[in-house]
Amino acid sequence: MTFVVGENCILCKHTDCVAVCPTNCFYEGPNMLVIHPDECIDCKLCVPACPVDAIYADDDLPKDQHEFLSINAEMAQIWPNISKQKAPLEGAEQWNSIPKKRDLLKR
Amino acid sequence: MAAAQPIASNYTPTSRATELLKTVANGKYNRQIITGLTKFMDGNVPDDMRAFYTSEELRSLVALRGTQRDVEARMPVKVTRHYFELAKTSHALQTLVKASPKETNDLGGAPDPGKQMDYSPVEGLIHKYELGLIYVASTCSAHCRFCYREELIAQKEVERPDGTFAPKGLAQVGEIVAYIQEHNRIVAANGGRHPKTGREKLREILMSGGDPMVLSNTNIATWWSALADAGIESIRLGTKELAFFPDRFDESFFDMADKFHTAYPDTNIRLMIHFNHPDEFLERDASGNYIPEPRGGLKWVPATKRAIEAIGRRAWISIDNQAPIINGINNDPDALRIMQRELRRNKVENHYFFCGRDIIGHKAFNVPIEEAWRILNESQKGLSGVETHARLSITHYKGKTEVSAVTNDPLPGVPGGENGFVVLKLLRSAASAPDRGKVCLVGRNPRAIWFSDYDDRVLYDEAGLFKGSSKATAQYGQERSPALVSPMERVKQEAI
Repeated sequence: MTFVVGENCILCKHTDCVAVCPTNCFYEGPNMLVIHPDECIDCKLCVPACPVDAIYADDDLPKDQHEFLSINAEMAQIWPNISKQKAPLEGAEQWNSIPKKRDLLKR
Repeated sequence: MAAAQPIASNYTPTSRATELLKTVANGKYNRQIITGLTKFMDGNVPDDMRAFYTSEELRSLVALRGTQRDVEARMPVKVTRHYFELAKTSHALQTLVKASPKETNDLGGAPDPGKQMDYSPVEGLIHKYELGLIYVASTCSAHCRFCYREELIAQKEVERPDGTFAPKGLAQVGEIVAYIQEHNRIVAANGGRHPKTGREKLREILMSGGDPMVLSNTNIATWWSALADAGIESIRLGTKELAFFPDRFDESFFDMADKFHTAYPDTNIRLMIHFNHPDEFLERDASGNYIPEPRGGLKWVPATKRAIEAIGRRAWISIDNQAPIINGINNDPDALRIMQRELRRNKVENHYFFCGRDIIGHKAFNVPIEEAWRILNESQKGLSGVETHARLSITHYKGKTEVSAVTNDPLPGVPGGENGFVVLKLLRSAASAPDRGKVCLVGRNPRAIWFSDYDDRVLYDEAGLFKGSSKATAQYGQERSPALVSPMERVKQEAI
């Protein structure tokens, strides 16, 4: 199993998850974070840490977000590792829970 | 669920630690973990793992979901590819890692019979003896079904000293460093003993969890350097990773460890490893037999051997094994004999074997105290002196207690001693040092699994293990009202 960063991270990128991750398995893109599925240790700590509830266990991932499984796996190979918390993206609060953000994902 | 705190908040590393951390790199690990029974039920596991649970086993486990007997709610299910490979042909290892309805057949026991929470002055720290235990991770690579930290692993809500309910939190570097420094300052200012608790300097910290080896190298180095800078002389790290995922001990780990040793040459690292059964580290042939090496000893699993040799080459790292004796896993003198011999041959000291705790949901794993002593004693027959350093220990509220001997003959003229007696010896008093070495004799009760089972047959109690009622002690966790007394206050009251 792995945990998966879902759609609501896009354009928010709060990075609280990064600070609690024991294994440092988050990777950072221009406007979203992802989890490396091989490196995730299934501790769940990032789920409550995320202020916008963007992270799911793969078994609990909403059906309409299924594509984020492969987005996480794929982008974790390409984007750089992030191990320290930083400020969220500007406008993060306004983008929280806005539907259909996935079209705005920058790879 | 409450959000975890970042491990390094409110902490500024020293310049020495900062220099070290700049040079540490993280490794990449693919443990191929399978978490949860749903994956097995949906067939959402690699083909060769599908038969790990039979469909009948899965059916009986699923039937318990959502009930009081839900085994996954008691303890999450998790296995690595490496451990699966070892376990698929080992009944003992399957019992260790596979969920079973037996776990929740009998829900008797106390939530916290050793009363660990009473020794917690700071979130994530248990301060006993001259040793502090810190919870630095809330998970492991795989999960032992008999784990007694299931409330931490499962993130169950426990009652806090202030009366609220929240999951047990993890230790934070800044808070732990501040506590150590303050405790040691008071001890130093008072001639070597804490004026209230009588405790000595905190010299040693045990990093536990969960398994600290799930942390990245940088997180481990952050803890090690912070603890060393706070004046800790020996850092213990409790891990089962040699059994679950030995490749975690890779070049990047030793690179970090060696750099740490260069920066902090006076700080010992003590690995407290956890093998329960030789199947966890020895190769077996097609008939399931261990394979003799031409020059003596038995053939190890290559990845495990590589790791243990690399650790063993570093004189400043010691390796001690400790394990509970668990029903269906290692209540087997032959397995324990082979394990003690092979570990010692490979630089691993046999430290403790433990009696299981009388915790809710643990009846299926408990081996009676006197039977555990017999098994260990039997296993040590035919071993040399250096191979038999391990003692059988049981954790009383007062401290770590050795089950030293069990006799078969009656003790003439002593009521309660008709069937022989058990010798218990206090190894370490949790609060203060002076009680070490004191003994207690109780009449035999072959079914006893906890101190309270001897309440009616105490023959001699120099150690004070049965002062008051230990029956009350065993059930104390359910009856106490922590809202009224803080853990610190309680430790002080105990000491007075």
